[in-house]
Amino acid sequence: MDSRLLFLLILLPLTGGVFNACFGCRLPRALVALLAIGAIVGSFGVTLLCWPLAAEGTQVTLFTWLASAGLKADIGLFFDPLAATMTLMVTGVASLIHIYAAGYMEHEEDQARFFALLNLFVCAMLCIILADNLLLLFLGWEGVGVCSYGLIGFWYAKSENALAGRKAFIVTRIGDLFFTIALLWLFSLLGTVNIAEINQRATELDPVLLTPLVLLLLGGACGKSAQFPLMTWLPDAMAGPTPVSALIHAATMVTAGVYLLCRLFPLVSLSATGMAVIAAVGALTALYAASCAVAQREIKRVLAYSTMSQIGYMFLAVGVGSVAAAIDHLLVHAFFKALLFMGAGALIHLAGGENDIYKMGGLKQKSPLLFWLFLIGILCLAGAPLSGGFFSMAAIVFAAFTRGDGFLACLWGIGVFTAGLTSFYSFRLLYLVFFGSYRGKKTAHRLSPLLIWTLPPLALFGLFGGLFNLPHFYGGHELLGAWLGSTPAKELPLVTELGLLVLMSLFFVAGWLPAHLLYRNFEVEAESSWRRFLLQGWRFDALYEWLVLRPYRFTARFCFIAGDKGLIDGVVEGLGRTLLHWGGYMRQLATGQLSFYLQGFAWGLLLMVGWLLLKAVV
Amino acid sequence: MIVPFEHLLVLASLLFFLGLMAVLVRRNLIMILIGVEIMLNAAGLVLVGASALWQQVDGQVLVIFLMALTSAEVSISLAMVVYLNHRKQTVDVRAFNELRG
Repeated sequence: MDSRLLFLLILLPLTGGVFNACFGCRLPRALVALLAIGAIVGSFGVTLLCWPLAAEGTQVTLFTWLASAGLKADIGLFFDPLAATMTLMVTGVASLIHIYAAGYMEHEEDQARFFALLNLFVCAMLCIILADNLLLLFLGWEGVGVCSYGLIGFWYAKSENALAGRKAFIVTRIGDLFFTIALLWLFSLLGTVNIAEINQRATELDPVLLTPLVLLLLGGACGKSAQFPLMTWLPDAMAGPTPVSALIHAATMVTAGVYLLCRLFPLVSLSATGMAVIAAVGALTALYAASCAVAQREIKRVLAYSTMSQIGYMFLAVGVGSVAAAIDHLLVHAFFKALLFMGAGALIHLAGGENDIYKMGGLKQKSPLLFWLFLIGILCLAGAPLSGGFFSMAAIVFAAFTRGDGFLACLWGIGVFTAGLTSFYSFRLLYLVFFGSYRGKKTAHRLSPLLIWTLPPLALFGLFGGLFNLPHFYGGHELLGAWLGSTPAKELPLVTELGLLVLMSLFFVAGWLPAHLLYRNFEVEAESSWRRFLLQGWRFDALYEWLVLRPYRFTARFCFIAGDKGLIDGVVEGLGRTLLHWGGYMRQLATGQLSFYLQGFAWGLLLMVGWLLLKAVV
Repeated sequence: MIVPFEHLLVLASLLFFLGLMAVLVRRNLIMILIGVEIMLNAAGLVLVGASALWQQVDGQVLVIFLMALTSAEVSISLAMVVYLNHRKQTVDVRAFNELRG
């Protein structure tokens, strides 16, 4: 098989996106959606076709993109097990979400713009995953940012949507800046941007430089993956259409940070401090986001915070050195979170466009099928024993435990506690939406069958996703771990392993029980300052407003008033005014009377003649 | 030469000055044109005088050339005066100040 077939992976969505962007407005609506779906499904098919290429790791170059003075970046792909796994997940989930979107957006204006951006997003995301050098990866990295910006602000007529898009773009740009610095630094140290080479030669690097490098990479990953302290954009990003939230802000783009760290793991793992910071950032974000999710009222914001929290787990997994656990959780999470988001989109339709879970309730009667599918998603998210989410989350917690020095044990504790919180907010969401009686006033919209029938495959993968990487303990073979070529987890004594499992299950129940008691027959919730604090995400927005935005705006104002208005405008306009003033005097000379000018001639002549005479005489 | 060249120069200067004054002071277009003619003739006078003084024919040639040129110039100028009169029903130069800044 020709390995250049791999380029179809990127080219298909690119073609679909560009075509829809150029001609989509003139095509019938159904054709636009079909083209977009076809491009992604085609990509998915190519992934399956090319799957055998991944085992050995296939490197293929289309052409040299940049080459000057030692810098050489190809348009080249590297298809190894890690990339193949991610590609399969992204194209698979994206296919389902595209189909879902065709149903979700069937009455929207600007369908062509939507699908063009969605296709371009997939193209950029695949660019990140498959790039064989950091520069191409960076191209995709920025590409997903742009598409995310365009899609969050898809309904840009409402200014808060446009603002949310801008916020997401700018906050992730801050992270991108760190990534850019890391990229350039790596290039100046090693003289190459090729990922495989960087990983190979990482040991040549000065250990002192490694830690700042890893921290810079972490900064980039934090921006994209909405981790502390660059996490404020993700909840606001829910302003976009639901398929976008499902695809970009749950399944794919936000996991790009995790992927980056996994891709450069041989480099990252060399810095013990860096790894500890990654683990700490992950654990703290997991806890922070889970606590925020407990008090959210908008269904999509609950899910946004839970996404943040789950990605925190993945960071924790990377930080404790278990790439397989991170990727496993990434995959399973992508499936069940896409399921939850798409279910949430359907639920919002069912509730007549209502976002607020306090105004939902009793939706179980309206669509029992949706309830069961959503329940599967919630069980996975909450980590119900034997669901996909349980295994992947347990793998992370195990990995943290086995590494167990004092610091990591602390993070392990946070992880386990957060699992309880996760279970609590998941069931809170479930009970508020499906149980009790309907508290809203709006009438339901009709549900397109596409909105329901794209969910079962995701539910299946979410529920049984744990089987991919089933530990030996359960009679599994850690297939994913072996596929990714990572070292198998250290075997724990049976008692410890059992104990950990029981502990996880206990925390699951400990989260579920209070949710069951509090929210099963929910009427109204009392306002409290504590809840408001959580609702606003620990007031981080206000903190950044005070800490960053105000000084920034002040500086900008100062520069504007003193620098731009005062100095530059002052000089330029002053010069103009002076000339105008003097010109006013000069223009009085131009009377338009010929005789006046001639007088000037005459006086001039007189002067010249006088001068000549004077010279002749003297 | 019967007339001393200095006298001739003085006369020519006087004529030129009178012509110039006419151009500067008069407001009637035709009068200004006459002033211009007077100035040209003053110049022609100097040329003839100089030609006689240095016994060179060039000056006289130039004067004849000047006469031909002047007649052409007058015919064009007068045509323009007619045109200007047609436009504003006056030959007063103060009426034609469109070039004022």
